[in-house]
Amino acid sequence: MALVSTDASDGVLPDPVKFVLNWGDRYSLWVFNLGLACCAVEFVAASMTRDDFGRLAVTPTATGPREADVMVVSGTVTDKMAPAVQRLYEQLPGRRYVISFGACSNSGGPYWDSYSVTKGVDQLIPIDVYVPGCPPRPEALLQGILRLQAKIAAETTTETTTETARSAAPTGATPFTTPLLRPPRAGR
Amino acid sequence: MSEPSDRSGHLARGLAIALRTLASRTAAPYPGTLPALPPRTRGVIALLEENCTVCMLCARECPDWCIYIDSHRETAPAATDGRRSRQRNVLDRFAIDFSLCMYCGICIEVCPFDALFWSPEFEYGEYDVTELTHEKDRLREWMWTVPAPAAHDPRGESAKEAAVLRVAGDPPAR
Amino acid sequence: MNAADVVAAALASALDGRAAQAYGLWCIDVPAVGWLRAVSTARDEHGLTYLDWLSGVDVGQDGFSIVAHVLDPDTMTHLLLRTQVPREKPRLASVRTIHRGAGWHERETAEMYGVSFDGHPDPLPLLLPDGFEGHPLRKDFVLAARVVKAWPGAKEPGESDASAAPRRRIRPPGVPEPGEWGREETGE
Repeated sequence: MALVSTDASDGVLPDPVKFVLNWGDRYSLWVFNLGLACCAVEFVAASMTRDDFGRLAVTPTATGPREADVMVVSGTVTDKMAPAVQRLYEQLPGRRYVISFGACSNSGGPYWDSYSVTKGVDQLIPIDVYVPGCPPRPEALLQGILRLQAKIAAETTTETTTETARSAAPTGATPFTTPLLRPPRAGR
Repeated sequence: MSEPSDRSGHLARGLAIALRTLASRTAAPYPGTLPALPPRTRGVIALLEENCTVCMLCARECPDWCIYIDSHRETAPAATDGRRSRQRNVLDRFAIDFSLCMYCGICIEVCPFDALFWSPEFEYGEYDVTELTHEKDRLREWMWTVPAPAAHDPRGESAKEAAVLRVAGDPPAR
Repeated sequence: MNAADVVAAALASALDGRAAQAYGLWCIDVPAVGWLRAVSTARDEHGLTYLDWLSGVDVGQDGFSIVAHVLDPDTMTHLLLRTQVPREKPRLASVRTIHRGAGWHERETAEMYGVSFDGHPDPLPLLLPDGFEGHPLRKDFVLAARVVKAWPGAKEPGESDASAAPRRRIRPPGVPEPGEWGREETGE
């Protein structure tokens, strides 16, 4: 399949098939917004007509992570929410990317010293692009998406950036032992 | 529900709006052109190292503890005999961790020497969170993007310097 | 005398409590044994039928104050009912039978201060994640993040990491001296 070298270490172009696959991948991203706090509103602003990430061939999906390629974590990740974030990441199929949007999901942000905040969602799941800001401008999200698309374009057959990131990422979250919702008790 | 005739009226109106928008000349959106940002937009913080005296006020007042400063003291010998030697703080490291920064602007407000400035740049997303900690050299590069200060509002309070000059008998600075 | 003054005076005399006004808001202090009676009297005989919130205050050696904000939705007369529980035995009757909404407020107060509400049918933590140890809103709860991270402002001008000055250091804003808030030696 390879007509040119596919070794990632010498920085040569990926092979033609991979080039086409990367092109198709990065211009057909379906995005799932894990909107946890204020940054979710900036994500919504980026999906509206003024600063439209639809122009970058990114489609928002409201059905959840199971049909998404990119998950944008926008907002503060509390320790109580951490298992849910983990579970949603695991529901992303196959080729998946995560953008950390805003200071809270980058590193805990203004709530870095709280007893109940996870200091950065990268403690739970591997992240591809970090977008700084509190909250970042919608245009900053567009720039983050462009950087993600550049990252996808640079992937090679021997080593995709996401695969190594997956294997190396530390997952500090505890296993999901209790259900997220408890059914209401009779007579309450 | 509305009658078919009513719906066709709405349809025509909607189409007219769409065609009008298509024909109108709107500004190219990002990423084609940068957005028109207001004067005091908070995008990133720039450092002018020459103004910094390492007073540590910004590091102390930062609510996120995201400004890291290292420095040492240098002694310059007396210029002429009989004068005392001068001491100066030299900045070794000045870093702002933009993954923590909440863009409150307290560091810029509190700096007594105007060494920190707001810049409207926002395109610095990274692949690695450690690269969001900008060191001195990168903070200096942001200085080239700092806009000129906004013009003084003619209806606002005049500057304190103008008041001092008036008291001293000179004509007002405005 | 407005409606709030009238109700406060009437309640205070009915419950053998003290009424005090601060910033235009009346606060009725009642003994802990009369807490249930206080809340039910306020609801049944004085029209304060809406429980806005119920929470606690750590007052150091004296234990915890449990405060309930009740109001009359028709006249918008509102006041605080307050009681005190000792630190060694922080137990109070649950007012869930009087105000159903108190259920969640009491769960939160229980997990944040360690106060147990007798008669509460479902005393599980509300906001804290599973396995969280300690009661975060107590004054002696150490905020781990601020202990672990060195305050960048602690350095004196002209000092770097290499040299540690033995002089008395200033504390970050908002961090009390050890012992200022009755912090115990053993701590949590």
